[in-house]
Amino acid sequence: MRKLSRMNSLLGCVFIVLVTALIAETLMVKVQTTHLRKEPKFYASTITVLRAGEVVETMSAADGWYQVKTAKGTVGWLHSSAVQTGSFNLTATDRTLAAKATADEIALAGKGFNKQVEESYKTKNSNANFAAVDRMLKVKVSRDQLLKFLKEGMLGIYGGRP
Amino acid sequence: MSQSQKIRIGTCALLIFVLMSCATLEQQIDAISPVKVSDAETAVKVGKTLRDSFRDITEEEEYYIGRAVSALILSKYAVYNDNRLTQYINTVGQAVVVHSDRPEIYAGYHFLILDTDEVNALAAPGGFIFITKGLLKRCRDEETIGAILAHEVGHVAAKHGLQSIKKSRLLDAFVLIGQEASKRYGPQELAQLTSIFEDVLADIVEKLVERGYDRKFEHEADKLGVEVSANTGYDPNGLVDFLQTMVDDSAGQTGKGWFKTHPSAKDRMDRVQKQIGGMEAIPEVPSVRTSRFQQAVQSVK
Repeated sequence: MRKLSRMNSLLGCVFIVLVTALIAETLMVKVQTTHLRKEPKFYASTITVLRAGEVVETMSAADGWYQVKTAKGTVGWLHSSAVQTGSFNLTATDRTLAAKATADEIALAGKGFNKQVEESYKTKNSNANFAAVDRMLKVKVSRDQLLKFLKEGMLGIYGGRP
Repeated sequence: MSQSQKIRIGTCALLIFVLMSCATLEQQIDAISPVKVSDAETAVKVGKTLRDSFRDITEEEEYYIGRAVSALILSKYAVYNDNRLTQYINTVGQAVVVHSDRPEIYAGYHFLILDTDEVNALAAPGGFIFITKGLLKRCRDEETIGAILAHEVGHVAAKHGLQSIKKSRLLDAFVLIGQEASKRYGPQELAQLTSIFEDVLADIVEKLVERGYDRKFEHEADKLGVEVSANTGYDPNGLVDFLQTMVDDSAGQTGKGWFKTHPSAKDRMDRVQKQIGGMEAIPEVPSVRTSRFQQAVQSVK
């Protein structure tokens, strides 16, 4: 009788683990690149960089951040603004998109207003100053520069509100 | 076979099923990998709403719209070339961005100074934010710049630029984009889409540069600006100080730049003061913020 009870407990545990695994949500990176961080903070160090279209599995969530597991099994934190939720079935055999598609499909397919549309626009509008836009994109602020700036100015974690 | 044996056999069978399911699940997780173009085209519908509003514009599309809007702004205005000041503005901007609700966007936020005495700040979709030399001249300290940039980040985060696009235009684009499975457009489709793209840009530029956002968007950006600058650790009264300057200046400068595209500074100031009144006090401003601000902006003063 005791054995039976143990077996039932074991089964219960396995069932809970299985159900949790089955309802684990998948997320897709929707920004060009995002940092998988050690902690759920922008100041936390980077484990690896993920690119648009990469799909990860959620493990937990906390205050605007998701703890995730990558395809390679790496665990870390991503900010919610960098990902979109959904079920991304990459094994489907249906190769056609409907006349209207969802935002997820367009994002996955890299369609929409994209580089090709910009190139076409440029040929018609030579006055538009894309060279200046590209220079604008080159100005970067590193994590260390930002941390130094915040620390000296007593901002963010060094004095501001949490 | 006894009852107990039946239960044991049944349990074993269930365990085997569970373990096999786990293995299948593991394979599925292993299958989760970076999306290749060929894979992307095989994406299936998961019962989500088809695209029909500005909210359905993808991050990448917003980026390309923002790039082109910025290219048009930069064909009208010259860039103010002061690397130190540009780096400073970008650092204040990033400090604010990481304390906002939408810190990550497709290619991140970028800030640039326009070489004009016109007083203005513009936020294009995709995080391209412009602030004029004339506006910087009127900023008293880092708190003011922080609050103004937080206001502009608020416009981007709330997608005010994308909301300027006429809905019919957007629907035409969505139908056209959804028609072909291949990633690259054919010549006819590309010509049609480019034409819609031009109209989309015209809608946004008209709002940004000519007519200004709707009053409610400006008030929403003010509200976000106050919240985000306070979250960063700045005194949100920086926005009040700036609006006061604009109230004082408005008599002589109506009809240009900021004065043409923004609602009454007095009305905005009253609302912002009311919001700040309900917040907890901000610690005293350390002198290093004032000194680094003065060093950075000396070329425009």
